[in-house]
Amino acid sequence: MKLTRPLERVLRVMITDPAVPHYGYDLMKAAKLPSGTLYPMLARLQQEGLVDSEWEAQPQDAGGRPPRKYYRLTAEGLRVARLELAQVTRAAPRRVGHGATRSAPGSMR
Amino acid sequence: MSQAPRPQRIAEWLIRAACRRLPADVRAEQCREWTAELPAILDDQSIRPSFLRTLRALSFSIGISRTTRQLSRSARASARRAANAQWRTGAMRIGPLDVVARAILGLFIWLLIVVGVITLARMSPDPHGWLVPLGLALGIGFDVFCLADIVRAAQVRYLPKWAWALICLIQTPLGGIMYLSIGHIGRSRPVPPRSMGPRAAR
Repeated sequence: MKLTRPLERVLRVMITDPAVPHYGYDLMKAAKLPSGTLYPMLARLQQEGLVDSEWEAQPQDAGGRPPRKYYRLTAEGLRVARLELAQVTRAAPRRVGHGATRSAPGSMR
Repeated sequence: MSQAPRPQRIAEWLIRAACRRLPADVRAEQCREWTAELPAILDDQSIRPSFLRTLRALSFSIGISRTTRQLSRSARASARRAANAQWRTGAMRIGPLDVVARAILGLFIWLLIVVGVITLARMSPDPHGWLVPLGLALGIGFDVFCLADIVRAAQVRYLPKWAWALICLIQTPLGGIMYLSIGHIGRSRPVPPRSMGPRAAR
């Protein structure tokens, strides 16, 4: 899978504490992504076995709130995410250095 | 559900409408997942003033609509790919004996035609008057038919399309007959798998 900017942001959020599961809106806020970008990406990640999901057993803060679905990186997902993000981080200084000659890809979503 | 505030109901309705695009087997679960996010958005105290939360919930639903459109599109694409893969591997293969049998059948048909033409020429008092133009017309027509079939076919067996086209043109009746008996893939294709599971009646 190609590491796009939105994907990079999602992975960064999920990798900060891989043990903590996130629900959709939580990820949207943390990664600052619209739902129309986030959910297709989560579906793709899940299809490739990099992320798995589970339903919340019973909402603790009750109040009749329906249970949410939580997403978490799988072991494989964690490995891939670390690898990909490390590559981006390594490539980043170079990207800045050549910024004058190479126009930034822009905020492609 | 009926006590839910109006923005939530509207957003839920939008999400349910978006979920109808999904295959029936995942529809309910996805719909449940997305509607369960709405309370979190509508109770998000970090978004102020409160009408912005409503907007957020609505834009969330619109994003879900984009999501389902994309998901159903990619499901269709992967179903098409799977069908094509099956088509490439399963439908293409005919055993080696089949090829020989088909070649013999083709040769036999060709021989019948040759014998038929020779017999007609013998019997007719003036064969050059009508048999040659008729033969030419039939030959050209048959070539055109074979070439059109090759061009329109999704795939042909064993040889690339251009090779079959060349064979058809060089050996007019025989090449075309061989193409039809060996290279041509008939209509009995494997039925492509249902693209998105059984669609429930709306």
